[in-house]
Amino acid sequence: MLVMKNINKTFQTGNIQTHALNNFNLTVNEGDFVSVTGPSGSGKTTFLNIAGLLETYTNGEFTLDGKDVGQLNDNGRSRMRNEKIGFVFQGFNLIPDLNLFDNVDVPLRYRGFDAKERRRRIEENLERVGLASRMKHLPSQLSGGQQQRVAIARALATEPRFLLADEPTGNLDSQMAQGVMTLLEEINQQGTTIIMVTHDLELAMRAIRTIQVRDGRVSELDVVAEKASA
Amino acid sequence: MIEIGLIVRALLRNKIGALLIALQIALTMTIMVNAIFMIQDRQSQMQRESGLDEANTFYLTNTVFGKDYNLQAEMQTDLNSIRKTPGVIDALQINAIPLSGGGWSMSLQHEPGDDKDTIGSAVYMVDDHAINTLGVELLAGTNFSAEDIEWRVDGQSTWPSKTIITKAFAEQLYPDNWETALGKTIYISQNQPMQVIGIIKTLQAPWNGWGGVERSMLVPFQMETQSSYYFIRTESGRRDELMPIIEKTLAESNKERIIRRVTTLEETRKRSYRRHNATNKILTTVVITLTLITGFGIVGLAIFSINRRTKQIGTRRAIGATKWQVMRYFLVENFLISCVGVIIGIAGAIALNMWLVKTFNLTPIGFELIAFGAVALFIVGQLAVLYPAKKAALIPPATATRTV
Ligand SMILES: Nc1ncnc2c1ncn2[C@@H]1O[C@H](COP(=O)(O)OP(=O)(O)OP(=O)(O)O)[C@@H](O)[C@H]1O
Ligand SMILES: [Mg+2]
Repeated sequence: MLVMKNINKTFQTGNIQTHALNNFNLTVNEGDFVSVTGPSGSGKTTFLNIAGLLETYTNGEFTLDGKDVGQLNDNGRSRMRNEKIGFVFQGFNLIPDLNLFDNVDVPLRYRGFDAKERRRRIEENLERVGLASRMKHLPSQLSGGQQQRVAIARALATEPRFLLADEPTGNLDSQMAQGVMTLLEEINQQGTTIIMVTHDLELAMRAIRTIQVRDGRVSELDVVAEKASA
Repeated sequence: MIEIGLIVRALLRNKIGALLIALQIALTMTIMVNAIFMIQDRQSQMQRESGLDEANTFYLTNTVFGKDYNLQAEMQTDLNSIRKTPGVIDALQINAIPLSGGGWSMSLQHEPGDDKDTIGSAVYMVDDHAINTLGVELLAGTNFSAEDIEWRVDGQSTWPSKTIITKAFAEQLYPDNWETALGKTIYISQNQPMQVIGIIKTLQAPWNGWGGVERSMLVPFQMETQSSYYFIRTESGRRDELMPIIEKTLAESNKERIIRRVTTLEETRKRSYRRHNATNKILTTVVITLTLITGFGIVGLAIFSINRRTKQIGTRRAIGATKWQVMRYFLVENFLISCVGVIIGIAGAIALNMWLVKTFNLTPIGFELIAFGAVALFIVGQLAVLYPAKKAALIPPATATRTV
């Protein structure tokens, strides 16, 4: 479970303060699939970065899986990212010099699994995204949709509780986007909690729950959306 | 867990930069090891003992211009007066000064004849005060007696019948057992016999760069000549005080000659090895400069590759790398590059050394020096990459989502 209470995030650039999140409140339950929409600059990425422990917040309360995130130091946050969170990025963020197998291997190395366990997880997850046959390929030899599938395999290999995706389909054409979305739905059905930021309303509506961020807070619309999907 | 496999595979996709740095490390190692080797070689040359009591020894030149000057008698008067001066241990007339760069050498042989193998030796013309004045150690045999000393005029080609030689010369003459040289007759000027009556431990020739620098012989000659050296040994610590006194006494005792170039043996040693010292300084500068260039090269490549991989590093942090794991990546990467560089460097160092050994007749390089070079370059590499690696570790994980 993810609980954010009155989270504020202020960016200071010279004399200018940007309030990216204003008393942001949100609870995400185990097994949820939450899509996050909202205008550009409203704070979606900021929210996701804080949720994923990539950024710290200025004040407020944030517990993730029962842990008070505010208490963690940098190493603790790194470990928690590695163990509990999987990331999928708009730009895929694969390591161009490593083949698919090695790309999926990276977070597993940080975790310290032995070679056999790593191999099992890599093969299983590449299988799961339908790319097991291309293990030795480099990212540059794949289409965008395929690269995003590898990124999803990498995110899943550590068996995270949460999968966070910031516009995972933003760089894909609609057909590939549909494929990735379907894959995310499958993953969610298998038990992983997903939070996905997207500009694509049609995809957003496929989530179990849709929230909208406006001016750094969750707007009331999410209630409507929840009702609509109910 | 150290991701060596991943680092190697990523490196192999970016070979050129890494290879250039590895080659730079190899080249630096090759030159560093051999330069240090040459520095050490020179230093050990400089540390060789001349055999003299250097700290308490000085010499001067006595040049006679007076007509009807009784060279023999005046020289004896000079030496007697120097020897009687309080604080002087002993003094003599000599034809050449060790380490000075100028002197005499002769070829000696076991058998008389013009087609025999010869061995070169420096020749010092001295009297029976030589052992005491030079401060050399007589290992076997006896000193010259006063009756052994002959007068020699300029241009004379005959030699006395006795000699005292250094142990190094005896070893060259009788490689099986140098002590057997004692009492043997050797031949100078192809056919003039000389009996070895004594063997001294060490007395260097005047030429420090000569391979036979340890081979010298004392010949019982007093020179009836217009210009020669007086060589003076003082009691410990009294050299500087006696130098002007003796110079003045000599100059005033007889105005038909001039006393010049009053010089300590320490100055002579310094001048003798000025080239060595200068070369060592240059070599040291080369080693330091090369090492710095290599260090900066490593820093440069690391910063370049980190700037290029900012997003990748942010992504690694986002998927769970700790700061230390990011840092370690670059330390290990540098270590691997250094390994390649050092391995090539070892081959290069040995190859260059083999050439140097062949060309300049040096002894081959020691294993310790190669090990030192390798360790030094590993340390340089790790130190050089430390700052960029720290910088990489500070790349925030949000870089993964904030940059496109
Ligand atoms: N590092 C930063 N420094 C200063 N201001 C920042 C920083 N990151 C984000 N902001 C500001 O915070 C606000 C929220 O940004 P955020 O990236 O969360 O928006 P977003 O909803 O993801 O927008 P988009 O849909 O365009 O991706 C914006 O006004 C943005 O300019
Ligand atoms: Mg955004």
